[in-house]
Amino acid sequence: MSTSIRDQVAVIGVGCTKFGDLYDSTYEDQVCDAAFQAYADAKIDPSEIDAAYVGTYLPHSQGGKAGISLADPLRLYDRPVTRVENFCATGTDAFRNACLAIASGQHDIVLVVGSEKLKDRPGRGIPRIGHQILGKGNTAPGLFALAANRYMHEFGVTRSTLAKVAVKNHWNGKRNPLSHLRMEVTEEQVLNAPMIASPFGLFDCCPTTDGAAAAIVCRADIAKRFRDDYVLVKGAALAVATGRPYYDPTFDYLGFRSTQAAAKAAYAQAGIEPSDVDLAEVHDCFTWTEITNIEDLGFFEKGQGWKAVEEGKTRIDGSIPINPSGGLKSFGHPIGASGVRMIYECVKQLRGDCGERQVKDPEIALAHNVGGPGAVSCVVVLGRRD
Amino acid sequence: MVGISSIGIYVPRSRLDRALIGKAWGRKQPPGEKAVAHFDEDALTMAVAAALRCIGDGDAASIDGLFFASTSSPYREKQVASYVATACDLQRTILTADFGGSVRAGVSALSAAIRAVQSGAAKRVLVAVADCRPAEPEGDLEGVLGDAAVAVLVDAKGTLAAFDGAAAVAEEFTFQWRTDRGGPVQMQDARFSATHAYLRDLPEVIGRVLNERGLGTDQVAALAVGHPDARTAQDLAKAVGVDPKTQLVPSLSAAIGVTGSPDPLLLLGAAIERAKPGDAIVVGAFGEGAEALLFAAGEAAGPGACRPSLQSAIDDKLPLPTYEKYLKFRRILGQDDTPVEAVSNIAEHREMQQDTRLYGSRCAACGLVQYPQARVCLACKQREGLEPVKLRKRGTIFTYTMDHLAANLDHPMGMAVVDLDGGGRVYVQTTDAAPEAIQIGASVELTFRRLHAGGENYNYYWKARPA
Repeated sequence: MSTSIRDQVAVIGVGCTKFGDLYDSTYEDQVCDAAFQAYADAKIDPSEIDAAYVGTYLPHSQGGKAGISLADPLRLYDRPVTRVENFCATGTDAFRNACLAIASGQHDIVLVVGSEKLKDRPGRGIPRIGHQILGKGNTAPGLFALAANRYMHEFGVTRSTLAKVAVKNHWNGKRNPLSHLRMEVTEEQVLNAPMIASPFGLFDCCPTTDGAAAAIVCRADIAKRFRDDYVLVKGAALAVATGRPYYDPTFDYLGFRSTQAAAKAAYAQAGIEPSDVDLAEVHDCFTWTEITNIEDLGFFEKGQGWKAVEEGKTRIDGSIPINPSGGLKSFGHPIGASGVRMIYECVKQLRGDCGERQVKDPEIALAHNVGGPGAVSCVVVLGRRD
Repeated sequence: MVGISSIGIYVPRSRLDRALIGKAWGRKQPPGEKAVAHFDEDALTMAVAAALRCIGDGDAASIDGLFFASTSSPYREKQVASYVATACDLQRTILTADFGGSVRAGVSALSAAIRAVQSGAAKRVLVAVADCRPAEPEGDLEGVLGDAAVAVLVDAKGTLAAFDGAAAVAEEFTFQWRTDRGGPVQMQDARFSATHAYLRDLPEVIGRVLNERGLGTDQVAALAVGHPDARTAQDLAKAVGVDPKTQLVPSLSAAIGVTGSPDPLLLLGAAIERAKPGDAIVVGAFGEGAEALLFAAGEAAGPGACRPSLQSAIDDKLPLPTYEKYLKFRRILGQDDTPVEAVSNIAEHREMQQDTRLYGSRCAACGLVQYPQARVCLACKQREGLEPVKLRKRGTIFTYTMDHLAANLDHPMGMAVVDLDGGGRVYVQTTDAAPEAIQIGASVELTFRRLHAGGENYNYYWKARPA
């Protein structure tokens, strides 16, 4: 029987670059900016780092698909550095691995950096991968749209409800100095934007973004050496399902089992119920994805999440604030960075550092990535120290 | 009696109103429409479509020959007949050959199939004929040429039409041509070509085949001849000595255009559809000489002879909204999607049964039909007992999207998850559809299409279109 990771690992420092079209900075600049912010936040010297995990999904200009992506820019040599790639769950999975490295007793202090440089890539940033014939024509929005159309058909949801997710997340993102699309939008703007992949228009989609985020985790029993207001890891779980859901004749397309399984495992580790969560950063790559996420994470029954959006329950002042940072929708989505950026937001919220977008007195925060769509999902539960 | 026992007809769904050509160039055009192959269609894919219709629910396993005929094969070097046979999931042991050269190729292939069955070299030969001939924009042929395919099954029964004789002449005459440099169809002086070749060679072979059977022209129930244009067909009827109004099978040029090598066989299908058993039908084709075949309509002749009927194939259409769309469909304007790397032909060969013959797996333990072919059952996770299973090509859209981000010559690109009748779920592009036709719950059929080019080669796979 496995033991829970709960309260064995503490987050003692976080950092995050401005997210956006960072045409003037390199992958290495981003990594350094995020990591050194985290060092400063934890008041730690880089020599104290025992091991590191880097979450980056795509190859970048200077590095191969190896730990050198992180080791070279930071000159973090002669230590284990592992590169993690797991679709859009890359960032949270890198964080999860760092936590496991500490919980195993192998390391005391571990650095996690998520970084992605989408704007350097030709075309639209994200290359098509997979079989050369089967599934030719798929795009990220197109794949999620398959699920959205089925969900909307089943529950009688219209694009107007999806638009409300965008309006909310842009409202939050406007109040976040680091977010990519720092602007509010109206429901009309969302509905009238050019179509990308039905039912998603432009403002139903997150942007392609550059950015990096970092976190430093350590054994909980030494966390106090670095700061008093450290944050405890309550649970961190990953679940993988099929990467080709469109071939599964048993799949109803109404939600993602990877999220459901990862959430169940993370709640069990944390010893909490979904209702104990005070805020969540969830993977809103597309507006509909946020709706299924809040159901799959157990905040609402299946088929009820869209009503919660309509009723404003997911706003910062709602019963379960979702994506107070602005989410992928407004904050941006540099693939490997997003999960670590969510950890950054959760830690800042739990510390009460979020100013205008601060959720009132949270004790438990949750970060969630899903990629594939539905292929991989990672859920991290964080809590204020007692 | 050796002859034809099944006919499948395929007319691509897109139609170009000739008035749009007239409007584009300020030039009067004949009335009517021409059938236009979709951007993802070519002679190979249309031949597959016609062949699948010809086979229908019949016995595909006993087909032991397939001849492909076209002047517009997508390949100069590479046999298309074997590709068509594979996409139709025919046996590996069959006899195959490609026929080309001139628009006579369809009748030549039919003639060769008949001789093969007569000789005992083969028992059931499928003849798949398709053309998609390029016409010069603003040229004389632009409003004339149309795209179509037809497939006929030749066997020893000949239930639709029994073979009753043949005659041929061969003579060098340059009428229509394309050189190895490609480009649109070129044409010699039309009047000269008619008087000195078409109206000379065809009456000669038709006269000979009738004489050999001791038939007078008044005993001909139907004359089905390929023709460069409708008027020349009328002139031919007069030259042969048959009544253009009652004995000549009417030209399809107003409805779908002059379709090249499939044209005589489409007209033969039309003749058989309206024939009574025993009727004498002459089919003829021209090109560097001419060939005529004589048939006697069989017991199964009459309405229902063709699958579908020629008229319903013509009526199943979607208008092209603009002339510019036609230019894109025929790749006169615009290119394929962004160049892609070559598909590994090693992987392609390995997956032939799955991708081209369209087989999934059925789990012996739980019965689930799944695609792509599985190593471990998706539902019960058993490793043993997964057997290849041929998937049906009809189904229902479970979900879909119209994707504006994906590069596509027919923008936007429809992508659909389709539950196939009999089991299996596939994820494919959609085609041949008005945007509102792609909906959850819509009935679709799978159609073999050109997917994309890469590494100087074409790739083919299945797409869904409204049934």
